[in-house]
Amino acid sequence: MAKNIIIVGGGLAGLSAAIKVVEKGYSVDLFSVVPVKRSHSVCAQGGINAAKNLKGEGDSPAIHFDDTIYGGDFLANQGPVKRMCEAAPAIIDLLDRMGVQFNRTAEGLLDFRRFGGTLYHRTAFAGATTGQQLLYALDEQVRRFEAEGKVRKFEHWEFLSAVLDDAGVCRGICAMDLQSMEVRTFAAEAVIIATGGNGAIFGRSTNSIACTGSAQSALYQQGAIYANGEFIQVHPTAIPGEDKLRLMSESARGEGGRVWVPRDGKPWYFLEEWYPKYGNLVPRDVATRAIHKVVFEMGLGVEGQQAVYLDLTHIDAHELDVKLGGILEIYEKFVGDDPRKVPMRVFPAMHYTMGGLWVDDEHQATNIPGLFAAGECEYQYHGANRLGANSLVSCIFGGFVAGPSAVEYAKTAAKAEVPEQVFTAEKARQEAINQQFYSNEGSENPFVIWKELGNTMTANCTVTRYNNRLQETDAKLQELGERYRRVNLSDKTRWANQAFFFTRQLGNMLVLARVICLGALARNESRGAHYKPDFPERDDANFLKTTMAKHTASGPKLEYAAVDTSYIKPRPRKY
Amino acid sequence: MAEKTVQIRIKRQASPQEGPRWEEFEIPYRPGMNVIVALRDIAERPVTVEGKSTSIVSYDANCLEEICGACAMIINGRPRQACTALIDKLEQPITLEPLSKFPIVRDLQVNRQRLFEDLKKVKAWIPIDGTYDLGPGPRESPEVQQEAYPLSNCISCGNCLEVCPQYNDHTTFVGAAVISQVRLFNLHPTGRMNEGERLEALAAPGGIQDCSYAQNCVKICPKGIPLTESIAAMGRAVIKHTVKKALGK
Amino acid sequence: MATATAETRAASHSHSFFWRRLHSITGVLPLGAFLIEHFASNAAVLSRHPRQNYGEQVKFLNGLPFVLALEILCIYVPLAFHGLYGLWITKQSEPNALRFSWWGNWAYTWQRISGIIVLAFILWHTWTARFSGVSLPDHPFQSFAKMQAMMANNWIFAWFIIGITTVCYHFAYGLFLFVAKWGIAIGNTARRYWTYACWIIFLVLAYAGLASALVFRNHWIYPIR
Repeated sequence: MAKNIIIVGGGLAGLSAAIKVVEKGYSVDLFSVVPVKRSHSVCAQGGINAAKNLKGEGDSPAIHFDDTIYGGDFLANQGPVKRMCEAAPAIIDLLDRMGVQFNRTAEGLLDFRRFGGTLYHRTAFAGATTGQQLLYALDEQVRRFEAEGKVRKFEHWEFLSAVLDDAGVCRGICAMDLQSMEVRTFAAEAVIIATGGNGAIFGRSTNSIACTGSAQSALYQQGAIYANGEFIQVHPTAIPGEDKLRLMSESARGEGGRVWVPRDGKPWYFLEEWYPKYGNLVPRDVATRAIHKVVFEMGLGVEGQQAVYLDLTHIDAHELDVKLGGILEIYEKFVGDDPRKVPMRVFPAMHYTMGGLWVDDEHQATNIPGLFAAGECEYQYHGANRLGANSLVSCIFGGFVAGPSAVEYAKTAAKAEVPEQVFTAEKARQEAINQQFYSNEGSENPFVIWKELGNTMTANCTVTRYNNRLQETDAKLQELGERYRRVNLSDKTRWANQAFFFTRQLGNMLVLARVICLGALARNESRGAHYKPDFPERDDANFLKTTMAKHTASGPKLEYAAVDTSYIKPRPRKY
Repeated sequence: MAEKTVQIRIKRQASPQEGPRWEEFEIPYRPGMNVIVALRDIAERPVTVEGKSTSIVSYDANCLEEICGACAMIINGRPRQACTALIDKLEQPITLEPLSKFPIVRDLQVNRQRLFEDLKKVKAWIPIDGTYDLGPGPRESPEVQQEAYPLSNCISCGNCLEVCPQYNDHTTFVGAAVISQVRLFNLHPTGRMNEGERLEALAAPGGIQDCSYAQNCVKICPKGIPLTESIAAMGRAVIKHTVKKALGK
Repeated sequence: MATATAETRAASHSHSFFWRRLHSITGVLPLGAFLIEHFASNAAVLSRHPRQNYGEQVKFLNGLPFVLALEILCIYVPLAFHGLYGLWITKQSEPNALRFSWWGNWAYTWQRISGIIVLAFILWHTWTARFSGVSLPDHPFQSFAKMQAMMANNWIFAWFIIGITTVCYHFAYGLFLFVAKWGIAIGNTARRYWTYACWIIFLVLAYAGLASALVFRNHWIYPIR
């Protein structure tokens, strides 16, 4: 039997898992909808956290751990977070050895900057394109393994489903070639899912187009538990755009950027006034709510619009170029103004999926045997709110756990001969779904449904949540689901048909949207990124619990699991 | 006042087997639009200017902030990323064509696999011993970092290859992007240990000798990478290495 | 199928690094050096007694030891290689200066066009001046008259103007390429200055060449004899 592991997703998590699997002597079949070098990880800008304490501030993994748990409002299970924070310094060293062009100090050591939710310089960075640099480093290592024949890449392939045997064990995947549109099943001893976030559910977000959450949703519909779906991070500073809300990294504030709005003809630095200790570097949920308050409640948006200023003009232009060049360029290219000379106009935007596939504490294993998950598509490291620059480290750490766990599973799990029928049946099931789309004669345009989905989710399931609006949203989602059944493909050809693939993804988005919405509806408290004005306090007695959503024919069924708080006792979160 | 619109002409091709054809679209104008928004508008209502229903336009795109490299296409005759192509700055009718140096998949979508294969040829990676904890990486001066960082910004979009008169079906030329990657890895203290392998790959068929220095690459690079500088630097390194090796050193 | 073509392509390019670099250097040495020598010799006509001085030059050059071997090894062989391999390189290219009109791209395109013109001109010039008509090694002092007679024809004179200008361009831009490709000047600034230097070399050479050519047309001062 071939000793192979399938990895779906070629971002930081998928690639780091692939490297570990190969090092353990197994081969990897790596699936991705885009060439892996174009994965969404490239969009991460500001940096990666590790308590290396190279600035003599007395930082330590224990403080990083505390900041992360506190920033996540105590919703994360503490064991894995603790291990991640402890592993982070070695991960930075490894990336450094792989050739990541981190910024340097005069002595040739790694430079670190401050990020949100901490008082320490803990964030290593490569200009303002850290995600790109990290992804490339891992991509290069995997390319090396590919050249050695240890990794086979299936780029431009869409994941459709897991192949589960009669006992519910994952035996491989079913996927579809985005060009030839051939449906194929692939056997593997274990499968790792690393398919990122689900920003597309919100229409416009800071996420890439590929971040549809389609794979996670498909697995959820096959029985995987989806945890903490309601926790969606809205980043305080993004550049509004019609196609995308482009991230303006927290590093802009980490390097001294100040947020203000004009009040009585003078700049009012409301974050600095309201949060004197952390100032502009409060966690993202706090900053986002403050901006919403200033714009919507106080009516102080710049020129009456939904925007506040993010100001870098007081900082030396050369220093800005060295440390933030990448993001300044984005602003210049898309807005046309030079942020070295005029303050940038920014507004909050959906940014990160804290929730995701449920995985166990130790192995990144989902509840489906043989199926593992790592990266943004799983739920485990960020609790109710992710701290800036923790995503990159959680992706890589998650991959580093998932890879060896999958290999260990492959070695120890019972080797039953899988009947061929298991694969042919799944393939037939998927082909039948495809055929359904081709023979549909409805009148609905999938792109129009998507627009409505995005608008309703952004309006009701992001920064501020009200139960009546969530109920309306769920009704709307069900209506969209009904209309989705009547989707008509404008294009019925069977070669590289993007309308077809988008339509398939959209179906999965609609299912996952209900998990987000109903999870939010049920959680009557405010915690981290989840904020309900009608329930403004955190309610540990009732909701210090992980939301566990299970798929049923009538919609998500929610259960709750206790949170491991064995290291740090929950305390009020006040910045 | 008549509503302002955007005219777009798109070169379409349903599959590699079929011939290309042009279709024209007219969509409502909004401030701040880019080519991606225009293509999405067409997807929401795929109807040509003659009122004929058509299929949505296929194209590659992902990050929409010019860092993933996916959405390269020829816009008004110039290869560039569609996401940064703002409608306000383009002359109308806007023409969209697929990159011509790569095999067509469909419409504006092409197969750029050759680029990634060429990165394998030159061993564009740092050969580390393993991912176990071996302590910090080598020290590097901020000056070297500032020289290397721009090189590591290459997004593999392929625009430099599209404009290169030497990158075509007659040659196996690896092109400016790949040559510049060799420079990046040879700058790194660990990467330098294997510089010979990479330089030899650059002296193999399709290597740096196929560059005739038209210098188009550096003009078109969306990331402003000093590609001609990289080519000159690698030209020197390859010669030095080749001569040294020939003399048995 | 695709791989088969790739293999044939690769095969036809084996050792291409060596041949390309040899091509590059033969353009400078010996061909470029000979070009300068040739223009310098011709510049003998820019003197008070052009007929006499030009004859002396031709006599001197033909009196060099091993002149035939020198001629074959330092001129004809490298010329044949540089010309023929250059044609092959040109065949590989797909110039696109009309689509992308940056100066570097035009320079690249002209390098190919000028290469073809120069090759044709040199073949013709070598044949007519060296291997047909009056034998110059035997009658060095008739060389001035021989050239005068040729250039009296307007078409031939025009052909000389074109030939001289393009050969100067081809050489000067070739010098730029040599420095860039061999990595003698790596930095952008260094290469920019070298570009200026090459333009000056072009102007000086073209001036010397064209001025010399004009002397042969000065029939009223130096009647054809």
